[in-house]
Amino acid sequence: MDSNNPLIKKHPASFRDPSGFLFSLDGKLYRQINRGYQAEYDQLMKSGLYQTLVKEGLLIPHQEVNDVPSLDSSTVYRVIRPEMVPFISYPYEWSFSQLKTAALVTLQIQRKALDSGMSLKDASAYNIQFWDSKAVLIDTLSFEIYKEGQPWVAYRQFCQHFMAPLALMAYRDIRLNQLLRVYIDGVPLDLASELLPFQSRLRFSLLAHIHLHAAAQKRYAGKPVPTKLAAQRQNKGGGMSRMALTGLLDSLESGIRSLSWQPAGTEWAEYYDLTNYSTQAFEEKKRLVAQFLNTTLQENSKPEVWDLGANTGLFSRIASQQGALTLSFDIDPAAVERNYQQTVEKSEKNILPLVLDLTNPSPALGWANQERQSLEERGPADVVMALALVHHLVISNNTPLTDLAAYLAKLGHWLIIEFVPKSDSQVQRLLASRTDIFTDYHRDGFGTAFSQFFSIVETCTVQDSERTLYLMKSRILHDAV
Amino acid sequence: MHFLLYLDPGSGSFLLQLLLAALLGGAVAVRMYWKKIKGFFSRSSSSTSSNEEITSVDEQKKDG
Repeated sequence: MDSNNPLIKKHPASFRDPSGFLFSLDGKLYRQINRGYQAEYDQLMKSGLYQTLVKEGLLIPHQEVNDVPSLDSSTVYRVIRPEMVPFISYPYEWSFSQLKTAALVTLQIQRKALDSGMSLKDASAYNIQFWDSKAVLIDTLSFEIYKEGQPWVAYRQFCQHFMAPLALMAYRDIRLNQLLRVYIDGVPLDLASELLPFQSRLRFSLLAHIHLHAAAQKRYAGKPVPTKLAAQRQNKGGGMSRMALTGLLDSLESGIRSLSWQPAGTEWAEYYDLTNYSTQAFEEKKRLVAQFLNTTLQENSKPEVWDLGANTGLFSRIASQQGALTLSFDIDPAAVERNYQQTVEKSEKNILPLVLDLTNPSPALGWANQERQSLEERGPADVVMALALVHHLVISNNTPLTDLAAYLAKLGHWLIIEFVPKSDSQVQRLLASRTDIFTDYHRDGFGTAFSQFFSIVETCTVQDSERTLYLMKSRILHDAV
Repeated sequence: MHFLLYLDPGSGSFLLQLLLAALLGGAVAVRMYWKKIKGFFSRSSSSTSSNEEITSVDEQKKDG
């Protein structure tokens, strides 16, 4: 049946692949599989590949549904309902190890696909999502039927989405993962080749997959794929044999594995050691946060908590251990890296560390600015936590208190926020090198600014410190309901 | 050779893969034969259980 149901919405990022598309209906996510993809889908399901991948947690499970109208009955073969990932994150929000894990998972899936006579037809980092300390492929339609002799069609994309940014982060600067925010289809290889230091050429995998790859792209730019040559080579048995493809995957894998980055020396990774809280005050702060979370989380069975400025996630874990789906955001890639490694070591559930600069949060990106959602579009959260954060935004970034309150009131229904006064040595440090222009930066000024956008529910001074914790309810989100 | 592709693999990327194919495929072949030779000698000197063989293959993979 064709549906003119206005509630059916095609996903704005789902247009590149003609195999099918995502759509939502009644808050549920579905994927239409087109007739053109019938053979591939059947092979995925019948060869045992789907079962293997799902069992190993590498592919998102789905169910076939019959009672959902399709958007276009002339093209539909099946409609499936994939399990939903609680929060969609993007490669420019991942730490080094997250991107590296996503790369290795992609290669692992490709190897398993080859064992079942299939091959990945794309290797987009956006097809990988994280939850419960694991990386999973969310695009069920990423597989094509493998034909012996055929090269890996997603090779270029793999190098752009994974190899290039990881090499740049490892060899040049960790902050270069932000190039992924500019280049939606991965870092162009000529740019990566130019930015990488000379010694990267001494490593075969980087020489081959980035530097020579970039040179080959430049040389053959705009020229058609030389099918004759390929056919000749294939007839001679010298095309992309299965063994050659395995060799290529081995080389990519050892290349990715050899890239490493140690989180040290960046801004906040040592922050807990530097903080001027006494042990007693720190425990008191933890107790108060837990108490506020308790009050707010009871309202919802699967609450979502965004911890902004989470550092290595100490306070995020108070939320995640209470069963809340917790996003642990921080601006510092070193803190996020440590946080992520901790989630993996302990196989933690309900927590996802992500890199986020709150003074310039992830925007809406891609075609028509609709392919990748902004931070705000992925909300609102049930609870936003902003602990030891206000002074950084107001004093380092000159954000007026009312502007900060207005934005936070849109991000979450509840807010647990800590006010750090000027007398605090952390604030003194920020003010040391500049004129104090912040005349309304005091407890009363803070209360006045936030009262415009929030109802202040509770206020507690953290014992043995000069800081205050507030529990507030957003008036913007609640008045709108 | 005709491919039904929705992603442009890129002419340069395509050619580089063919170039690397010979080299990297060769490496896989060498590794496989080396494994066989090693397996032959380890089998003749001591009877290795199949489980141990899998472990040694895995270890080699990690090294590779």
